[in-house]
Amino acid sequence: MTVRQNEVQTILRVDLSTGEIKKETLPEQWTRQYLGGRGMTTRLVFKETKAGIDAFSPENTLYFGTGLMDGLPVGNSRMSIACKSPRGTLAEGSFGGFFGPEMRKAGIDYLAVSGKAEKPVYLYINDDKVEIRDASHLWGLTTDKTDAAMRQDLGDPNIQLKYIGPAAENLVHSAVIMGNINNSGGRAGCGEVMGDKKLKALAVRGTSGIRVNDYDGFLDAYREYYHKVTLKTSRDPWTPVWSTSGAPVLARLTTDMGSLMTRNAQQMGWDNDKATAISCEPYLDNYVTKAKACFGCPWPACQKLYSVPKGKYQGFKGGNYWAGQPVVFASLIDNSDLDLVLVLSGLCNQYGLDIFHVGYTLGWAMECYEKSILTKADTDGLDLKFGCTDTEGIIDLVRKIAYKEGFGELLAKGATEAAKIVGHESEKWALAVKGQELEGITERNNYMVALGIAVSEVGPDHTRWYPPYPCNPNLMSKKELADLGLDLDLNLAFQVRNPKEKGKLLRWFTISRAIVESLPGCVFLVRDTLGMDIRPWWKLFSAASGIKMDYQEFLTAGERLMNLDRSFNIREGFRRADDMPPYRMMYEDVPGFGYPRLEPVFNSMLDEYYDVNGWSLSTSIPTAKKLHELDMSFVLEEFQKLGVEVE
Amino acid sequence: MKRIYVIEDLCNGCRLCQSMCSSLPNGVFSDYARIKVLKVPGEERDIPIVNCDGRCVRCINDDGIPTCVSLCPTGALIYATQSEAIELRLKYEAARKVYSIFKIIAPWKWPLPYNLPEQHPAQKEVR
Repeated sequence: MTVRQNEVQTILRVDLSTGEIKKETLPEQWTRQYLGGRGMTTRLVFKETKAGIDAFSPENTLYFGTGLMDGLPVGNSRMSIACKSPRGTLAEGSFGGFFGPEMRKAGIDYLAVSGKAEKPVYLYINDDKVEIRDASHLWGLTTDKTDAAMRQDLGDPNIQLKYIGPAAENLVHSAVIMGNINNSGGRAGCGEVMGDKKLKALAVRGTSGIRVNDYDGFLDAYREYYHKVTLKTSRDPWTPVWSTSGAPVLARLTTDMGSLMTRNAQQMGWDNDKATAISCEPYLDNYVTKAKACFGCPWPACQKLYSVPKGKYQGFKGGNYWAGQPVVFASLIDNSDLDLVLVLSGLCNQYGLDIFHVGYTLGWAMECYEKSILTKADTDGLDLKFGCTDTEGIIDLVRKIAYKEGFGELLAKGATEAAKIVGHESEKWALAVKGQELEGITERNNYMVALGIAVSEVGPDHTRWYPPYPCNPNLMSKKELADLGLDLDLNLAFQVRNPKEKGKLLRWFTISRAIVESLPGCVFLVRDTLGMDIRPWWKLFSAASGIKMDYQEFLTAGERLMNLDRSFNIREGFRRADDMPPYRMMYEDVPGFGYPRLEPVFNSMLDEYYDVNGWSLSTSIPTAKKLHELDMSFVLEEFQKLGVEVE
Repeated sequence: MKRIYVIEDLCNGCRLCQSMCSSLPNGVFSDYARIKVLKVPGEERDIPIVNCDGRCVRCINDDGIPTCVSLCPTGALIYATQSEAIELRLKYEAARKVYSIFKIIAPWKWPLPYNLPEQHPAQKEVR
């Protein structure tokens, strides 16, 4: 068995056009500045992608990145994928599973895929052996069939796979990359780019061991961390919910609060009986067959496999019924049939579609149908009413979206593009930011969420700061809070419908999350005080990597990444005007709950956010002072070359 | 004599046990451990195979319970004598018929019954 030291960061470069494969070592300096994971992939995209290129061109490189904590049983076996999105923004996503650790065991930390293959290929990595293999026989297969076929071909039960489904092959908007049948990632555009490169799959197997530098220090840091996240000792009331019964419970909790998007967010509360029918109790009682987990996770059952027990879809198998599905396939389209929700969700996994794209685009189309903008002539005869009376028709529509057939071709463009084609002011209920659909969390009664969704560089993505159920500051003593050195009034900051201090709070959460994602870390394992206080992460990282850095330097890495994300979008032409919530959230009140529109408060929050970040208020461009402070003069040079005016 | 027993139905395949076990003697995280989790190709099953007498190189909590058993998130690993293991297994089988949450986690790993009107007897066995 070969043993690798943990601090070396290698990158494998594969050019699909020429078939060239080479291995390099990344600059040591970058590890200190960007840590790894999301930080490193974003840095690579910024450096190696020229400004203004077409996302579907051979120059657009797709990066897969692990981090220094991948392969260690900390439960943060995430992986970052990044490239330039077809929507023009940065595309960055992350997925869990076993692929990241396996890649590190094969001696590869980062993987850059450039060029375009002439015919479908897949990449096979077995320790030092790297091959580009023919994938013609896999092209067109759904993800579950691809998984089975590849496992049969390769014959190794421990091999780890990532693949795309028919949706990404057909360049459907927001198509995702899948692995282990139900771990998805890369909805911001990575799946489409992978499909465009004709790269059907990645297969990796590694056998080397990873040595941590300071093992005793690592175990001490691990005990502290484990104490905060594990069921028995975590003080966070959400820990048992997320780690066992699951997030579908949110549908029932939020419907009374006016936070559940119903009928394409025309209403913000649903029928309580309907919400109960799709909640986690019936799911757990009748559908769940087995718990699943990502590599080394201290949580028992965040993922669960299900099988539909009876009825028309008896025997349909899938995985992961999570916080998104109860919104997008239930309340948003007014469907309270749990069988149908699970079948739609499972089909999205099989085709490699993004559930949020499908859900919100369906919601948009249903509202158009309700307002007679779309008729049966447009929908191929499908009765597209809210409530999903024609279940077979809806299921077939999902297939049509993946294969861009008939009415599905319109919906495959995503809600924003489809609304532009259909017209009749239907943009007003296309719920998307930067061309990317929302993710089912409320905005008008949680101002930090509204701000976070609007400013997110990759389109709406609540995992880039924190979910609307953030770490509870009440778990920390006054002294502990003072030690954090946060310059904000936490009482005001945690009042969900008070616009004050939201910019500062979002800034702190974005920095903290940028660091955790660069280790890389999972969004669910920031429970207890781990989201507010990131010193346990710092200790874990220091012990695992052997890189001695002080806490302040560790924090600066997060701020640097946040500015780098912004700089990428600035370079591609995105400015303040693009940081806006959807029309419905901005200009329409919540009916029945007394929550007003966002318009009166939004701009003041945005000003505060830009101001605390040291960004220009009028354009959102990071100032020269801020960029120098963060040692990011390469960004300034790039801006100068392109003629972007920096204050 | 105490040893490590396995409830296969509960294993979620995370390999926390395998990875941590491999590192205990020398600080290298690898696949070479006294406990290995098998995946059956084409089937969603995870089967831990134990080749260990339960005398751990280094118990992570210094309490005499092997590291893998302490860390197992679902309670699929038990460190007990044969008669205790039989008793625990029977408790688990009874509990999962009453509350479906115990399909995915052992009762003794679930100390916070927020929404249960009464505790199931098996839950009082918190170790």
